[in-house]
Order: sequence, then C-alpha cells, then structure tokens
Amino acid sequence: MVVKVEALVKRYDKLVALDYLDLQVQEGEIFGLLGPNGSGKTTAINCILSLLKYDKGSIEIFDKPMGPDAYDIKKDIGIIMQNVAVFDELTVYENISYFCSLYVKDKKEIKRLTKEAIEFVSLEEFQKFYPKKLSGGLLRRLNIACGIVHKPKLIILDEPTVAVDPQSRNKILEGIKKLNEEGATIIYTSHYMEEVEQLCSNIAIIDKGRVIAKGTKEELKSMISIGEKVTVETYNMEEEQCKEIKNLPGIYSVDYHDNLLEIKSGKGKNNLVHILEYLGQKNIGFGRVTTEMPTLNDVFLEITGKELRDLVEGK
Amino acid sequence: MIQLYIARLKCLFRNKESLFWCYMFPILLATCFFFAFNNLWKVEDFTTIKIAYVNEGTQEDKLNQILTSQKMNNMNMFDVNQCDISKAKKLLEDGNIEAYVVGSEDPVLYIKENGLNQTIMKSFLDSYRQRADAIADIIKVNPNAIKEGLMNDSMQQNEFVKEASQGKKPQSLLTYFYALLAFTCIYAANWGLDEVINIQANLSNRGARVSVSPINKMKLFLCNLLAAFTAHLGSISLLFAYMYFAIKVDFGNNLLYLFMICLLGSLAGLALGGTVGVWVKKKVEVKEAILTIAVMGGGFLSGMMVPDIKYTIAEKFPLLAYINPVNLVADAMYSLYYYDTYDRFYLDAFVLGIITVVLGVASYIGIRRKNYASI
Repeated sequence: MVVKVEALVKRYDKLVALDYLDLQVQEGEIFGLLGPNGSGKTTAINCILSLLKYDKGSIEIFDKPMGPDAYDIKKDIGIIMQNVAVFDELTVYENISYFCSLYVKDKKEIKRLTKEAIEFVSLEEFQKFYPKKLSGGLLRRLNIACGIVHKPKLIILDEPTVAVDPQSRNKILEGIKKLNEEGATIIYTSHYMEEVEQLCSNIAIIDKGRVIAKGTKEELKSMISIGEKVTVETYNMEEEQCKEIKNLPGIYSVDYHDNLLEIKSGKGKNNLVHILEYLGQKNIGFGRVTTEMPTLNDVFLEITGKELRDLVEGK
Repeated sequence: MIQLYIARLKCLFRNKESLFWCYMFPILLATCFFFAFNNLWKVEDFTTIKIAYVNEGTQEDKLNQILTSQKMNNMNMFDVNQCDISKAKKLLEDGNIEAYVVGSEDPVLYIKENGLNQTIMKSFLDSYRQRADAIADIIKVNPNAIKEGLMNDSMQQNEFVKEASQGKKPQSLLTYFYALLAFTCIYAANWGLDEVINIQANLSNRGARVSVSPINKMKLFLCNLLAAFTAHLGSISLLFAYMYFAIKVDFGNNLLYLFMICLLGSLAGLALGGTVGVWVKKKVEVKEAILTIAVMGGGFLSGMMVPDIKYTIAEKFPLLAYINPVNLVADAMYSLYYYDTYDRFYLDAFVLGIITVVLGVASYIGIRRKNYASI
C-alpha cells in the first residue's frame, strides 16, 4: 500500500473539514480524488503531507507512519500544488534545479535530472525565461517540473489544470500518464470529472469531508440506476409531451431546453427504441440523436442530490 | 547547501524592488541630506560658549582663570559669568547659558540638555580634573615643581580643546547620516521577513513545497538567512563607501568598530523581520506594513528626519531609546565619534546584542513548528 488513510478527522473550530476519511492508494495506480470546491480534497492532501495537524486518524505512506520529520518518506514524494509555487526571480532552469537540490546533493545528478524534467514538460525553449514571462499553461508545466524533477515514487497533483488552456491541459494529462507508466503512483485531485474519468484507474468521490463512493469508474457508474443519457434534437415540444415521455418504461427524467430533449433512462436495451417510437407516433420531427453513458457527475448527483458541476461553478 | 545559498543570493539580487529600497534608497537619501544640509557645516562653526561659574571652593579660584583664558581661533572659548548658584540656575533655566560649573575641590558641571557645546564642556572639565590630580601627585614627590612652572604648563588646555573640536562636524548633520546608516542596517528586517515567508508552509506555496521536501527546515532557513545577510552587507558597504568616499562623511577613526555595529544592526534587522513574519498572524502585506512602520519610526526617533528628536527621546523616554534598534546603532556610531572611551558604544552594542538574541530565539521557536492548524 502506498498511501493508507484511516478515520482521518480534521476540524477548523466547528467546521468539520474531514469526517472520518478513509483512503487506500495501491502502488502503480492513478488515484483520483473527485469532489466539488470545499469538499476537503486539499485539506486531505495537506494532512497526508503532514503540513496540517489533524484531530484524529492515522496516515501511512509506503507502509510507514507519515510525520513532519519522516524525511525518508518525503524524499520519495513529489507535490504539485494547486497554486504555482516557484521563484519569480529564478529562470525556468534555475527554479527546477533549485527544487531538485532540496532532494539531491550531487551537482551532476541535479543537472541531469533538471534537463530530463525540462524535456518531460517540453519547456526546452523556455529554459532561460523568468516565470512572469510564461503563459498560464507554461507556468503550470514549470510547476509540475519542479514537483517531479527528483523522480518521486508518489506524485500528488492538487488540481494541476485549473485555469489552463486545452493544449497545455492535454500535455499535462499525457505527462501524468507517462509518469505513471514509468512507475510512479499518482494521486490526482480535481473537480473536473472528465479529467478524472479519462485519467484515473481508481476514484474516490468526496463531499463534506467524507468519501461517498469509491471504485473504478465502471464500478461507480454501476452503483447508480441511470443506464444512459439520450439527447434528441427536436422542435416545438410541449410540456404535456415531455410528461408522456417520462411515463415511458425505464425513463427517469426528461428535460427540454434550447430544442434539445435530454432523457435519462435506466439500464435496459430498448430505451432509445421506446423514445423514437413515441416521437414517430406523435409526428414530432427530430434531428440528431446521441446517447452517452452516465458520467461521474450523474453518480455524484444520484448520491448527493446535487450537481457536481453546479457546485464547482458556485451555482 | 552551497547551491541553495547561491540560488537565494540570485533571488535577492534579482528582486528589483528590494534592491531599490536596500541599495538605492539610502544612497538617494544620503545625497539629499548632503545637498540639503551641507551648508550647516559652515553655519555651525565654533562660537564662544556661554557658561556661568559658581565658586564654592576655599582655595584659589584657578579653574575660573583657566576657563576665562581659554582661546580658540583667537576667540574666547568660554564667555564666563561669575555669579552665585541661584543666578546660575536661573540663567541655565532661561537658556542664557549652556552650562554652569560649581568650582570646588571636585568641580561639578550642570547642563540642561545634550549637545556639542555641552560635550566640549564636559570633556574640558574631565581633562581639568585629570591634570589637577596629576599635579597633586607631582607636588607630593617634588614640592618645587610649582616654582619650576609646572602649573602654567599643565593647565594649558588649548591643545586639548582644539583636539576636542577640530575636524569634527556639527552633531546635527552627523545625526542624519548615522541615523540613515542605522536605518539601512535595520532595514534588513524586510529580508528577514522574506526568508520566513519563503520557508513557512502557512505563508507561501513555496514554503509548502519546501516543507514537504526532505531537507531540514532549520538548516535551510539558516542558509537563506546567510544569503540575506550577505546581500544586506553589500547594501551597507555600498552606502558606507558612498558616504565615506563620495560625500566625505566623517566617521572618525574607529571604522572597524563602526562596521561591527553595522553587522550587528543587520543581524538585529533580520531577526526583527523573522519575528514579525512568524508571530504576527496577519496577511503578508500587514506584516510588511508593520515592519515599515517599525523601521521608519525607529529611524525618525533616532534623528533621521529631525535630529533633536533623538535627544528628546533619550532624555524623556530613555527606555524607548534603548529598545529602538535603529537608535542603538546610530547612538553607538555617534559615541564612537564623540567620546574618547568605548563605554557608551559597548553599552549600545550590548543592548542591541540582547535584542538580537531575543528576536532570534523568538523567530527560531516559531519556525521550528512543523505543521499547522490551518494553511
């Protein structure tokens, strides 16, 4: 077991930030910690890293108790914070080299590792740039290079793609996969469910400091009753017709807006057939029809009654 | 560690804002002082010192004669008003004289406030006492010495008085420069604060990243502090060289001691910044504001803007003078220039040392914390 968190409790006065949180991260996996803003993801990470005191519970990393003085554990951990943590006065190269020298003493080794990290995040052309001259995406890549330069066995990424352009986001996600392929165990926190779905082999959904569901994405999706989502492009639907569709077998919910009919149905083979038959019978014209599997947002919605996406956007 | 030290030096020397405040600002101020107050040197040339003399002794009034006969640049050094004690007190109270001397076997000097003329008076009287004792000793061994002219030779004070005042600029101007140099020393507080911010996980993301690394936090802090001390030393040296060579500020003959008090001042500044950084539980901007007020206020109270403030504080709020590190550094420099002995210098250095140790220990206690209740 790379990380084992048991019954972790962290309070800020009366606010319970972590409520008997349990996590297990196996060697070689990409573990996703998914939850809305304020759900306790970063608090959990800070407790795991011994930056924060906690009230109850235990944390083990590499099967050893984690503490502020556990230097033998710390040397194998890499951390990429939510906010960029670099020195504005040092160039890209110097920043990466500086953070490497916190872990490695040999000068030649620092040079070699720094060069590798720069290549890994594709910042070769920007080595002599100061952070202020870099775009948001490049800055994030520098932040990642500083965290992984010493080749850690466990890499913790706390929302590394916030405010990053799509191109840099893809590069970052590809990089994380590559690090994992090279043997690193990854803990990835995010409120972007698409990223977590795309990247993580195991996922824990966290809300109000508790793990509300965990497993592979398939396991999580199988926990809920929704089987698929059907979207039909159609025009002039009436409210009464929407109600009738909802009464069709296996249909859970119907939503019609902007000429799009969104239907969530249960697990079953003939849901789409029933819907299309109904539209045909009522002579309702329709355009594109798409179906998709339930997302982690649906999982979150069904378990908590809240939309993860809405919570993230602060609605 | 050497690489980390060099990296920190790079950070410090590339931070243009810090460089301006630490390197350029004091030089600009020194230049302003020079152009604004340079003429004071001419205005404040020596003038006769008005004093009163009260004879309470039974023996021949030799001291009065000596006081009256002292000359400086063909001018009477003292304008002596011989009177009784109550009149002397009144004259001093009204500001008509700068001091009065009660002549007896052991003459006593009374002054109302500190200043160059009072310092000259005190030094004169100290020297008089010394020589009077020496004469008494010689007479015991050789009673004919008086007949051989010992008295006239020994009581010739002109040389001493010349030494006491020659080549020494008026105190007001030097107070400006000493306070500025002292201010620059204590300004290291801002760099002390930076070093704490860079290492504390609850103050910066960089601090968090450092805290999860396997490096010993205290070792790294000392390494960073050494880099800050080195960089700050550069600013003091530059200002010192500028004052000494370019605008010819007279630092006297104790340059080594002067530089040592600057080093101690710089350490005190770093420790002050560290303490504020660790113990003031406010935003970084608030901490910076507190330090700016403390250092600027310290400079003001030590005479950087108005020299008389220094004397007022020393007279009416002596404790404040002794807990103000800027004043301690400035006063130590001042005492090196004006006094023949090192007593006052050592006292200032000792108190500053204690302040440095107390602040250093306070910083250490705060920094050694390894995890936090909130980040």
